[in-house]
Amino acid sequence: MNARALARSPVASVVYVAAAWLVLVPLFKVQPRYLPPLPVVLADGLSVWPDLVAGFWRTLVETVLGFLAGVVLGVGFGIAFSASRIMERAFLPIFVALQTVPVIAFGAIVVIWFGNTIMAKVVIALYLAFFPIAVNTLRGLELADPQRIALMKSFGASHLQLFLKLALPTALPNILIGMKLAVALSLAGAIVGEWFGDTVGLGVMLLQALYFEQIPRVWVLIIACGAMGTLLYGALVLLERRFVWWRTD
Amino acid sequence: MAYGLRFIRSAWPVASALALLLLLWQFGAAALDIPTYILPRPAEIFVTAIAKWPLLGDALTVTLIEAVGGFLLGAAIGIVLAVLMILVPPLEALLMPIAVVINAVPSIAFVPLVLLWFGLGMESKIAIGALAVVLVVLLNLLAGLKRPEADAINLMRSFGAGRIGILWRLQLPAAMPGLVTGLRVGLARSTIAVIVAEMMGAYSGIGQVIYQATGQVDYLTVWAAVFVASLGSLALYGVLVAIDRKLVWWR
Amino acid sequence: MPDETTAVATPPHLQLVNVWKRFGEAPKQTVAVRNVDLSIEPGAFVTLIGPSGCGKSTLFSMISGLLPPDSDGSLLLNGKVQQDGALLGKIAFMPQRDLLFPWRTVLDNATLALEVEGMPRRRARAKAEALFPEFGLGGFEQHYPHQLSGGMRQRVALMRTFLFERDLILLDEPFGALDALTRSMMQRWLLDIWAKHRRTVLFITHDIDEAIFLGDKVVVMTARPGTIKCEEAITLPRPRDLGVVTTPEFMAVKKKLLAVVEEESLKTFAAASP
Ligand SMILES: Nc1ncnc2c1ncn2[C@@H]1O[C@H](COP(=O)(O)OP(=O)(O)OP(=O)(O)O)[C@@H](O)[C@H]1O
Ligand SMILES: [Mg+2]
Repeated sequence: MNARALARSPVASVVYVAAAWLVLVPLFKVQPRYLPPLPVVLADGLSVWPDLVAGFWRTLVETVLGFLAGVVLGVGFGIAFSASRIMERAFLPIFVALQTVPVIAFGAIVVIWFGNTIMAKVVIALYLAFFPIAVNTLRGLELADPQRIALMKSFGASHLQLFLKLALPTALPNILIGMKLAVALSLAGAIVGEWFGDTVGLGVMLLQALYFEQIPRVWVLIIACGAMGTLLYGALVLLERRFVWWRTD
Repeated sequence: MAYGLRFIRSAWPVASALALLLLLWQFGAAALDIPTYILPRPAEIFVTAIAKWPLLGDALTVTLIEAVGGFLLGAAIGIVLAVLMILVPPLEALLMPIAVVINAVPSIAFVPLVLLWFGLGMESKIAIGALAVVLVVLLNLLAGLKRPEADAINLMRSFGAGRIGILWRLQLPAAMPGLVTGLRVGLARSTIAVIVAEMMGAYSGIGQVIYQATGQVDYLTVWAAVFVASLGSLALYGVLVAIDRKLVWWR
Repeated sequence: MPDETTAVATPPHLQLVNVWKRFGEAPKQTVAVRNVDLSIEPGAFVTLIGPSGCGKSTLFSMISGLLPPDSDGSLLLNGKVQQDGALLGKIAFMPQRDLLFPWRTVLDNATLALEVEGMPRRRARAKAEALFPEFGLGGFEQHYPHQLSGGMRQRVALMRTFLFERDLILLDEPFGALDALTRSMMQRWLLDIWAKHRRTVLFITHDIDEAIFLGDKVVVMTARPGTIKCEEAITLPRPRDLGVVTTPEFMAVKKKLLAVVEEESLKTFAAASP
């Protein structure tokens, strides 16, 4: 990696923002009510380190489980819809509509069903992850170029061969786009799910910080949530590099 | 005429699927004897929504004002920032890292912060709604503005076009699909963020209704509120799609 | 007399009888192909020229089984009428665009048809690898399509078609994207391959020189709605080399065909302006 690329990498962004925080806050005497100095925030983070680690871990598990289940279901439904025209015309608009629904409001209902178990958060995370993945899978499967389909047919390809050798690889970039959208939503779902009653997790800590008006703690948790989001997103980018190596023309 | 026909032809599968789902829900729940507090029937939810309309209607109005306000504010800031960054590249170098870092944090994590800063009124909801929108719009629009290749830009320059001319005739049209995607994702996010913020602290709004009803174990009202909120955000989405058609006229 | 008996014993490899293709409904209907009658003998090399948009690619889609001809005509392969779709998998078809799969390496693109046929990957690859030097692609086996030039991509597509070993090969402007030098090399190379394997080739081109140089027969199509304008048997001796292009016989045929093709091309543009 050369210097230019390094300067544009996310790591550089983090370093840059941290430096700006460190220098600018004392320089402009920003009120701690808005943005406490970075050392204060870090010290606060260290003071609750064990809780923070436990909360991070719990929220991560909820997010990842929900997300993975969402991927399986979403891709499955996407494929099923692409296979059946009438299913697609009947259900896709409903899906697109449901995607715009403030799904987080369902959190309350899910907690009614599953109580304060980890299952409740997993289901919320799943629910949020499902739609973008299903819709993007379907859209991706439909992207297969008609002329390429014709070519495969001229080779005598079966439906299965068309699907495995053409439609699925064509859809892969879109599926990954859906997954990237979904992973952020899963995390949001897990955090909000914890607000409906739990004792461990970043969401729980966020709620407590709000009640006790601990601004530095809120910033600690914002950083923790950002770190988790980046971690998950980064994992998907690696996956993408591994499985979508080509460039479309 | 032809348009109406096409609408009917594309609407009937959806309508029948929706009807099928609702019937299945209504009678399936009855047949399986699922208690109302676990899964109320659609008819009950509908009746509750109407019975509680004074409460729900007011709450929905507040939520929609907040969501639209936040969306418009955030979209405006995002668009202005993106255009400025394209016209003044050092600004991009200066601000992009901050945008990237903030974008990595789920916007709902900022909810406690805006509540502490702006109080329990509408301001905090509009602020969180705007925050949820601004980055998607900024990042999508910026990527779109950068899409035209150097060749196309050089062609425009050979015609004597200046920075503004290139921006207006080449980069902005090329960026419209990206902007539309950003706006759509942004609208959904701002509605969610507003409702979540209302749950955590508000004087009114759908989120607050849900929060209070959950506390009072009044699950029918929770369902009714979710139903009303869904209709509201669906209507918003419909308006946005209609506007989008105008923005991306060549497709 | 002996001529007649052989004609009965071996029917034309491919026969088109009154083939039509219309797109769309009555008021806005486009007639792409009109009343085409054509027969191609086994092992022949037939070139097809015609103005742009006259329906050549549409004709190919019908012959490869991708598009059913309108019901008033029929397609016969080896004397047997072919139902809709029956031709799929029986004809090696190279479309106008290269249509390489961006996620497959050059090697795996070449073996695509073999894989579809069910040949194990290892064998398909081994078979394809042997052809790489011959196609001027040696060393590019593991590259991806976006790393190739337009001409190289075209050759990969050509290799993919050749690996799909069928008696009838349809080539839709296969050398359209090649530079003049590579193009003439590929033309001679194609003739070599054809002489060796004696497959039947139907070849679309815009280049009259190419059509005459390669073909046993040049078929000229009219402007849209396309039908057969005339057929010209090319009797130049084989094997042909570069020198043939400057012979008087070649010149005579070329002059004749140029006149016909120009007339049709002009019609295409005249039809567009009021
Ligand atoms: N699916 C279709 N629907 C409607 N019209 C079509 C369709 N496919 C082809 N056509 C029309 O049929 C005509 C012939 O098209 P075709 O692609 O066969 O031309 P062509 O001779 O191969 O041209 P070129 O030399 O430019 O490749 C064109 O006018 C085209 O617009
Ligand atoms: Mg063509």
